[in-house]
Amino acid sequence: MLSLRLLYRDWRGGELRLLALALVIAVAAVTGVSWLADRVAGATEARAADLLAADRAVEYPEPIPDAWQARAEADGLDTARIAVFPTVVLTESANRLVSAKAVTDGYPLRGSLRIQPAAGAAEQQPPGIPEPGTAWLESRLLGLLDLEVGETITLGARDLRVAAILSFEPDRGQGFGSLAPRVMFNHADLESTELLGPGSRVRHKLLLAGDQAVVAQFTDRLAAEQGNAVEIERPSEQGRGAAEVIEQAKRFLGLAALLTVIVAGVAVLLTVRHYAERQITGVAVMRAMGATRRQVLQLFVGKLLWLGLFAGAVGAALGYILHLAMLSLVAELLGAELPPAGIRPLLTGWLTSAAALLGFALPTLVRLRDAPPMRVLRQDLGSGLLRAGVPLLVAALVILGLMAWQAGDVRVTLSVFGAVAATLAILAAVAAAIVLGARAWSRRGGQRRLLWLTGFTRRPLTAIIQIVAVGVGLMSLFLLAVVRNDLLSAWQAEIPPDAPNQFLINIQSDEVEGVRTTLADAGMETVFYPMVRARLTALNGEPVRAQDYDSAQARRLARREFNLSWTSRLQADNRILAGEWWGDQPDPAPQLSVETEFAEEIGVEMGDRLTFSSGGGSVTAEVTSLREVRWESFNVNFFVLATPGTLDELPRTWLTSFYLPPQNTAVLNELIREYPSVTPIDVSSVLRIVRTIIDQGSSVVELMALLTLAAGVLVLLAALQITGEQRRFESALLRALGASGRRIRAMARLEFWVIGAIAGGLAGLAATGAGVVVAEVLFDLDYPFRPMTLLAGASVGLITVWAAGALGARRYYRASPMRLLREGG
Amino acid sequence: MPGTMDSPSNGSPVLEARGLAMRFEAPEGRISLFENLDVSIAAGDSLAILGTSGSGKSTLLGLLAGLDLPSGGTVTLDGHDLTTMDEDERASLRSGRVGFVFQAFHLLPGLTALENVMLPAELAGDTDARRKATHALEQVGLAGRVAHYPAQLSGGEQQRVAIARAFISEPRILFADEPTGNLDHRTGEQIIELLFNLNRDYGTTLILVTHDQAVARRCAHVRYLREGALAREAG
Repeated sequence: MLSLRLLYRDWRGGELRLLALALVIAVAAVTGVSWLADRVAGATEARAADLLAADRAVEYPEPIPDAWQARAEADGLDTARIAVFPTVVLTESANRLVSAKAVTDGYPLRGSLRIQPAAGAAEQQPPGIPEPGTAWLESRLLGLLDLEVGETITLGARDLRVAAILSFEPDRGQGFGSLAPRVMFNHADLESTELLGPGSRVRHKLLLAGDQAVVAQFTDRLAAEQGNAVEIERPSEQGRGAAEVIEQAKRFLGLAALLTVIVAGVAVLLTVRHYAERQITGVAVMRAMGATRRQVLQLFVGKLLWLGLFAGAVGAALGYILHLAMLSLVAELLGAELPPAGIRPLLTGWLTSAAALLGFALPTLVRLRDAPPMRVLRQDLGSGLLRAGVPLLVAALVILGLMAWQAGDVRVTLSVFGAVAATLAILAAVAAAIVLGARAWSRRGGQRRLLWLTGFTRRPLTAIIQIVAVGVGLMSLFLLAVVRNDLLSAWQAEIPPDAPNQFLINIQSDEVEGVRTTLADAGMETVFYPMVRARLTALNGEPVRAQDYDSAQARRLARREFNLSWTSRLQADNRILAGEWWGDQPDPAPQLSVETEFAEEIGVEMGDRLTFSSGGGSVTAEVTSLREVRWESFNVNFFVLATPGTLDELPRTWLTSFYLPPQNTAVLNELIREYPSVTPIDVSSVLRIVRTIIDQGSSVVELMALLTLAAGVLVLLAALQITGEQRRFESALLRALGASGRRIRAMARLEFWVIGAIAGGLAGLAATGAGVVVAEVLFDLDYPFRPMTLLAGASVGLITVWAAGALGARRYYRASPMRLLREGG
Repeated sequence: MPGTMDSPSNGSPVLEARGLAMRFEAPEGRISLFENLDVSIAAGDSLAILGTSGSGKSTLLGLLAGLDLPSGGTVTLDGHDLTTMDEDERASLRSGRVGFVFQAFHLLPGLTALENVMLPAELAGDTDARRKATHALEQVGLAGRVAHYPAQLSGGEQQRVAIARAFISEPRILFADEPTGNLDHRTGEQIIELLFNLNRDYGTTLILVTHDQAVARRCAHVRYLREGALAREAG
């Protein structure tokens, strides 16, 4: 308990406030992110089983044979059937592309539906599924169609009465189908809609639930019997997409939090060193009075542990508030109820606090136990007690460990660590070159220059440390504040306000001109792309079989038709990574250009020959280039492009995309009336969701940036504190020698200016450099190197260091020379 | 015999040094600060070591207190040979047995007067530290200054706090290094008066290093450290 009492006395004396603040900020960053990630991930996991509405689902391109369902029921399993397909719903005055879903009794086998009997009514859990002859509609569809509950819609050849508003279904998955609003109706009405003709894009599913082993046995047997024809879906696959996004977001935020921890760690290193230096004589006195090395060590470790406990608690409380703030920022994205906050982030916070203290503070404080007791008689003893080497090494190892823990990936850990270390080394090298250069210059220049630059050049090491420390703080600030904004706007510019929000597909060749004219009359210039739906049937002459692939995505690609096109002009959002683009050459040989991720998934390389089949025809051509596609541009893009003429053997339709201003929707209705086979797809709600994700995601990052900024300011104050005693002594000495207070303040100001400008300039340079690297490598965005950031950085650095320096060092230049001298240097 | 100092003993000596030597490695070669010193002091006695700056008197004090180890010779404190002990064993031996008063006071700046006085008792695990420290501060006339920080006290008051701190554990032996060196003459006299009164009241053995003849004369024995040797008379 003595350590606790001593800690209290240190605290009261103001010794440890910066250190504690640095800890609080580090812990708040880590716990806040940890709580956020935990609760979001928890919500996702809880939903994973519900995402399929079943324990397993069997997908089949044809209606599910009755025999399968009977067999499953004989095995004691619960079953239900669903059929999902895109279609257009008509009312007297409007029409909409919807995702229709026919369900049988028992659906959903896992999770539950929620409906509202009327607009604005409370949500309730329905006793079953829609009665035959009725449908449940998503509320936004009611709005789009200007309908109310009780009115009638037409689905194919069948009229259905809207009986309720569908507010939630557990297996509302991702993909194109999930973008269109839902119409749910009874499976018994499916046939009478007459929408199930050959070639219709219906996904039939048999849902199964019951004893896990029996379910597995049933689906394994079915898969063995039917081979490629059936696809078995498991809940984990359903949840994977969301889980991966969350895992990535967690890692990114984790690393962002770690940046705060590192910057705060620098503040801890600096303050602890300063603290330890002030403790040496005190420890020597204790040792002279009989304290053993072990006692000294116990005292300081005890102090650290208590401090870690308190700072950890305050930091965790702050982190809790932070995570609530972040949750409220992303509330729109989460929607569903969240699990309660767990205890784990609290432990994470304390562990971070402990790791920061043990890693950044303890190695320095441990040295105190060796303070020579003779120092009480001879002040010069023990002055070299604190060495920087070991603490720096330990700090580096702790940072590396924390990074590995946050990133969970050796490659990411090493590259991030390498980048941080390289940045520090470059900062230090440039700072050293400038400081030592200035020193050499001032020496050559004689007395006058020497006097003006005295503080700066007479303390080259502290000057370099200050420049690097302040530089790191400012750099993270610039990176997060300025460059991040630039990156975000670059990203948002990828989806301009007039990004296409409507797609028209299934346009027949003889309809292209008519559709083009109609749109042009309404003021919309459009480009039409040919589209061939075909299946990849052979790779270098070998048949492509779904079961040969491990990943579900590859199996799906191998099994299904996907979209191909041809063109001679490469779009701006495409980039050739390997091979050459064929360009405008007349009558090119049949060639293919394949999107890189698709190529990787399917195992296609340059020079491979791919065979595509559709509608009885088939085409074979060689891959002569690999393309990277920026899908986030929301332009029309294709996995596989062919030279013009190559795909002539295959049936094709056309598609186009355009931006439809909200006031211009009449054109669309006119088009659909005139060309009934053309299918419109409205992606404006998807665009809205993506924009929301960007906006809300960036607010979360902004909060993190604020914490890093706070940590950076602490580093600045810590750096000033280090030289405080020296400044006090110098100032007293210079005054005693006759310098005016004005002169002394002017010298200090010059020193702050120089240090701030160098640190800020370097930070700006490093931040914009890092911005370029991040933009190019991670986000694949064009981000110009901005030399102005260097100037802006230098100005911000100058002003920040000047302001903080003037505030922090004011007291060192105030007191009378006599008192200062008496207190000693 | 030159280099030897024995106080008239009324019992076995509480501190005894034999053949004490201190040498340093310096850029210009090995330097001998002193060689073959003998010191002995009986319980309750007082001894002043006089010397000029750099004569090595503070180093000698440190060796006698066990703060450092000599290059040669032995130091026996309370029957324990300090030169065969490691630093921690010497620290344990000092604890509660040895008190210090320093020229630079060496009060911890973040602690109040009371807390500074409490510290040695707290380190020794004494649960009655606060009461004892309050009493000690009363004895040195600082009852009204318990909550003051060192920076709020005058030099003389700071040295009084240091003296209270030295006496709280009722040490058998007190080492004082230029206790008046940082004080004006008048305050110095008051401090010396206080020191000797307490020394008498507690029956403490006192070893004092000074360059001030007047202060030295207050001790029962005075020795001069000059050119590496101890002498009875000023040269």
